[in-house]
Amino acid sequence: MTSWLRRQRALAEYTLAALARRRIKNTGLLLIYAVVIFVVASATLFATALRKEAEVVLAGAPELIVQNLVMGRHDMISGEVIAEIDGIRGVAGIKGRLWGYFYDRLNGANYTLMVPLDPDMAPPEGQAIIGESLPRVRELPWETAPLFLSRYPGDLVRFDIAERLSSESALVSTDLILLNEADFRAFFELPENVYTDIALSIRNPREIDTIVEKIGRLLPNARLVTRDEIARTYQKLFSWREGIMVLLAGASVLAFVIFASEKASGLSAEETREIGILKAIGWDTGDVIAMKLWEGGLISFSAFLLGTVLAYLHVFAFDAGLFASVLKGWSVIYPDFALTPGIDGLQLTALFFLTVLPYVAATIVPIWRAATADPDQVMR
Amino acid sequence: MISVQSVCKTYNEGRPSALTALDGIDLEIARNALTVFKGPSGSGKTTLLSIISCMARPTSGRVLIDGRMVSGLPERFLTLERRRTFGFVFQRFNLIRGLTVLENVLLPAAPLGGEPRADAKRALARLEMLGIAGKAGERVEFLSGGEAQRAAIARALINDPPVLIADEPTANLDTELAHRFLDIVAGLRAEGRTVIMTSHDPRIWAAEQVDRVVSMRDGRLEENAA
Amino acid sequence: MRRTSIVFGFLAAGTAMLALAALHARIAAAPERARMARSAALVRAVGLTDLALFTEARFTRNPALADLQTAFQDAPMSFEHFPSGTFAPRPAAGFGRGELRFGPEEVAR
Repeated sequence: MTSWLRRQRALAEYTLAALARRRIKNTGLLLIYAVVIFVVASATLFATALRKEAEVVLAGAPELIVQNLVMGRHDMISGEVIAEIDGIRGVAGIKGRLWGYFYDRLNGANYTLMVPLDPDMAPPEGQAIIGESLPRVRELPWETAPLFLSRYPGDLVRFDIAERLSSESALVSTDLILLNEADFRAFFELPENVYTDIALSIRNPREIDTIVEKIGRLLPNARLVTRDEIARTYQKLFSWREGIMVLLAGASVLAFVIFASEKASGLSAEETREIGILKAIGWDTGDVIAMKLWEGGLISFSAFLLGTVLAYLHVFAFDAGLFASVLKGWSVIYPDFALTPGIDGLQLTALFFLTVLPYVAATIVPIWRAATADPDQVMR
Repeated sequence: MISVQSVCKTYNEGRPSALTALDGIDLEIARNALTVFKGPSGSGKTTLLSIISCMARPTSGRVLIDGRMVSGLPERFLTLERRRTFGFVFQRFNLIRGLTVLENVLLPAAPLGGEPRADAKRALARLEMLGIAGKAGERVEFLSGGEAQRAAIARALINDPPVLIADEPTANLDTELAHRFLDIVAGLRAEGRTVIMTSHDPRIWAAEQVDRVVSMRDGRLEENAA
Repeated sequence: MRRTSIVFGFLAAGTAMLALAALHARIAAAPERARMARSAALVRAVGLTDLALFTEARFTRNPALADLQTAFQDAPMSFEHFPSGTFAPRPAAGFGRGELRFGPEEVAR
């Protein structure tokens, strides 16, 4: 056993000495490799944490949303519908939701104005509860500084700040301006008894399908969105098919594979000669291959460790700062959120095999022929 | 010690480019002697050397080392036999560039899994004996021809093999270094080792340290004792 | 110092860092659960349906509710152009429903 370990260590020692000969080239290779793994690992960790957050937090969303469609577009829904739906058995609660968007001409941000479903949460008249980003993008100078919104030139509506929502819920609330119903209707000049859509709570989740069918018959023009569908939307967000980050990372992985296979498989005449020498002085095929395994293993494992540890720091200590500009797109508001740190063992293992194995294989396969060649060719 | 019995070696057998390098060689090599194969290039002396040292296999015939048949062994055992019995000094030394002298000398010890400090100590002692201990940390491409050869000899001896094989060892050396080489080899013989080498260098054939010169031509022996 | 000692040392340190990251994630789990529960309570009280991650356009602010099943967003020539739109999934059920919601006898009539 000790002799086996010593042999492995001696082979690793040789590999390192051989790698150290082209220190800059091999360090560069290691760094590029680590960057590729860093990008892929960051994207995976980030998307997983975000999906987890959506899963847990949006579990509080309404079980069913009823939208009115007019000419294929989402339109206001009449309050009279509420009484009709309320008669359906299994519906535990029903409320009209009032929400809309407001484009702030001052800074180009889009806010979401909303009346809380829970009447206890609604602010008093003339006041608003604002999300975490508003003080930032509106540069509200002090804690209770009022918010002025201008719907058209010459118009100015004042809201005093009842509360600022904590940034711990930024991911769902960053752009919110919560008003009471009277203020909301006045601000958007809405008639009485119309709603943006209708939120249902349902006592028994198994009855959702039946209720959806009944509402479908009652309101053939309506579009119904269940909480399951909401959840699915977010489970698929950033899944491998959709994410452009993964696409970009895929492209860089591909470029790296080409680079690595060129480097690893383009077995130079020099290397072939060295393998011949090693065989001639008493190494057997197994020794040569073990030595090359060490080379591939050491480089790819180092890159894997470097990439994943940095990715963890990037996503959870630095709030995925490098992705922020990609995710922000053209938005003015970007939530200042922190994700729940988590490492998915399965994902990490998958990443390990997807990154380490191909490189090791690319190092080993071309060596096979050289390693099995007759050693006496170095004498000729 | 080493017995070669009707050994033939044909390269590219069965093809138009087939080349018979050895054609029925019978030879006994004595233990603790310095044997030199001489002959013009293409006479088959290097091929014979690689067959004796288990680097290549004969097309037909048998090779026995201390009565053990080695010519039919599979590759793995052949490597083991080679490791245990032979140390090699090549014509162009075949040191691995970019590595230090000490790292090169330790190479044959790597697959054996010996205690690293003991290996290093042995290597340094051998370098000391050959007078190049001061160069142990130097990269091999900065060595002179004579130093490179002594590094190669130290490498050949690291696993303490009973037989030293040298292919044209003096081809790249001037007369003085060639004599120094013969002195080193004589010293090794005094340690009880067997030395087998090829040479077309008359300085070697005539040297007093040589026990036996085997002359070859066109893959056959033209035996005569020195 | 042998080269392998240095490199194995670095690898051990890297593995330890990874283990430390896993430990950190485990320690942070309980307070994070509490934080997410508070967020979920807010979602329930306000009646929210979406993450406020992409505020640049209607259909990216509320992807779960947006008119994704309609062919055009704002104009027939309005191709997808918001950067965050590229993260949005296609509707779970696909675009077509593949049925007319008529019984066979109704279709025959």
